[in-house]
Amino acid sequence: MALIELKNVSRTFGKGDERVVAVDNVSFAIDEGEVLCLVGESGCGKSTTGKIVAGLLEPTRGHVLFDGQDISKMDKESFRRYRHSVQIIHQDPYASLNPTQTVRQMITRPLLRHHKARSNEEAEKRAIELLEIVDLTPAQDFMNKYPHQLSGGQRQRVSVARALTVEPRFIVADEAVSMVDVSIRVSLLNMLSRLQDEFNVTFLFITHDLALAKYFAWEGRISVMYLGRIVEDGPTRRVVMDPRHPYTQALLAAVPEADPELARRKRRIELRSADIPSLLDLPSGCTFHPRCPYFVAGVCDGEVPPLVAIPEGGRVACPVRKDISIQLIEETPAAPAA
Amino acid sequence: MSNESQQVVLKHEAGSGTPLTLRNVSVAYKTRKGDVQAVRDVSLDLRAGESIALIGESGSGKTTLGLSIVRLLVKSAQVTNGEIIYRRNGKEIDVLGLNKKELREFRWKECSMVFQSALNAFNPVIRIWDQMKDTAQSHGWKDKKAIRQRSLELLKFVQLDAERVIDAYPHELSGGMRQRVLIALSLLLDPQVLILDEPTTALDILTQRTIIDLLRKLKEEQHFTMIFISHDLAIAAELADRIATMYAGRVVEVGSADDIFYRPRHPYTLGLIRAVPKVVGDFQELFSIPGSPPDLIDMPSGCKFHPRCPYATDKCRQEEPDLVPVGPEHMAACWHWREVEKELQSKPLHSIS
Repeated sequence: MALIELKNVSRTFGKGDERVVAVDNVSFAIDEGEVLCLVGESGCGKSTTGKIVAGLLEPTRGHVLFDGQDISKMDKESFRRYRHSVQIIHQDPYASLNPTQTVRQMITRPLLRHHKARSNEEAEKRAIELLEIVDLTPAQDFMNKYPHQLSGGQRQRVSVARALTVEPRFIVADEAVSMVDVSIRVSLLNMLSRLQDEFNVTFLFITHDLALAKYFAWEGRISVMYLGRIVEDGPTRRVVMDPRHPYTQALLAAVPEADPELARRKRRIELRSADIPSLLDLPSGCTFHPRCPYFVAGVCDGEVPPLVAIPEGGRVACPVRKDISIQLIEETPAAPAA
Repeated sequence: MSNESQQVVLKHEAGSGTPLTLRNVSVAYKTRKGDVQAVRDVSLDLRAGESIALIGESGSGKTTLGLSIVRLLVKSAQVTNGEIIYRRNGKEIDVLGLNKKELREFRWKECSMVFQSALNAFNPVIRIWDQMKDTAQSHGWKDKKAIRQRSLELLKFVQLDAERVIDAYPHELSGGMRQRVLIALSLLLDPQVLILDEPTTALDILTQRTIIDLLRKLKEEQHFTMIFISHDLAIAAELADRIATMYAGRVVEVGSADDIFYRPRHPYTLGLIRAVPKVVGDFQELFSIPGSPPDLIDMPSGCKFHPRCPYATDKCRQEEPDLVPVGPEHMAACWHWREVEKELQSKPLHSIS
């Protein structure tokens, strides 16, 4: 049984002419111990979806199931347990830690508050263990530090340690490594992966960076969102190596590669329009149709295309291209720049 | 992206020789805790028509170096040593010696800089046209009609709907459109050198791609001389002919893009390359660099990278290495570059699997 399941979840903000559908009829399930990456550009609804999963926002329509139970129908005790089981790590480690608290306070207080430790000594001991889990060693050195004395990467580790105080089964990581320097990023990702391996923590990893998604969720799955809808999902290998939705293909082709030869050989996909439509005035049918190079009049601008399973794994919301593979790297290298 | 826009041809007079030379440039910020050595002893030659990328993490000094070239450092920062020499048509200019009036001539006409946050770079209450007109007029361009024509031409060149955008206010444009307007504005007085600070950071992927392709066009078709400042190695791989890696205020390695990506000799450059994932192709293992960037007020002794470096020895802790030739047109500042070379021979870096 899935640990978390979203069933036809929608979320709107605002009223009347200002009404924005941030998340539109999204369904997915994540099994215990699994990693699902939600990727997309800004405004695609990935963070809103993350907040709904973490119980920080209520869906306007649809249901969120935790351990098979609808969270809107839970009694107080079950809801409390659900909220403890799901923790969220935010993007900005400069904003998410209380500047007036030491690391010790930030970690021992929730331990005591939620009865995960019975005495100060026990809380202290557990706090040290948690700091060691997130690689802040020697842990004693960090206990008395304030956030301003820590680097961005260290702060993010404290956020993770704090989330772990309540022994979550599920972590929503919303752009959790985006603000951290390149050289530190990998060790943070590896630390999160270890939580998954050693403690069987389930992850919803939200990012705009496809390369990071590929690295973190190589054994898991990726869902690609565009303007509030999932347009493609599936096992990471399949989505990255054999993308089918024109939007996924365009994203993968557009990402600059840190390799000059690869950059020269990567296929260019020309879109019909460079501009992203406004959420206040969404195109009919498939919302990607005004930009899509494979647009078919009457097919793409009519009904909203449903996500359809493909034999290679996952689902694709494109009746035109769902069965067609493309090459993202040109066979022969293009002539190098003079 | 209409076809019409792509036919716009700019008449750019590509420079020749070496438009820009930095010699032993050092920059320090004065703070209460002491001097921050943001840039230390940087020497670089920028050849006409080439694009060079300065890469490095936050605090490596790359933006400070860019700002010192156009003399836009904040008051608390000072060029404490060195020379910046600019050349055009056989004339040499000592950039650090320019007075206010000369400086105004130098900026925009000779060398313009495109900043990181495209929204803050505009005056929010005046239209794009007024920004362009003011810039041209303050550089002595009188003919309004000619300014308008040039502005429209440039906006078309950056693939915007010129007639609409020229009368828009900055807030009416998306982030990617603003970035393109800024690039157009920087070209207004046909400078010889363009400095672009994180030109695509904070833009969405598809928008980022249009900016990269546009900059590539400026480079390949117009032969602008360009400096890219970026923490993103991918931007360097896409756009740079040469790359300089900066760490703790110094250039620690400089070479052609292929040398830097496939034959790096400084452990820091190698570390960065091994930390960045690629999107296409099979899974690759990544490695992070241990530790964190140094405190610029209280820097480590010797080589500033030694506390994070797997090759570090006592010599590294005591003596800071200078840039030495490690190949044709390729320099690195590391006592142990031959060991890096040897390791890469047994474990070469990619390329496409």
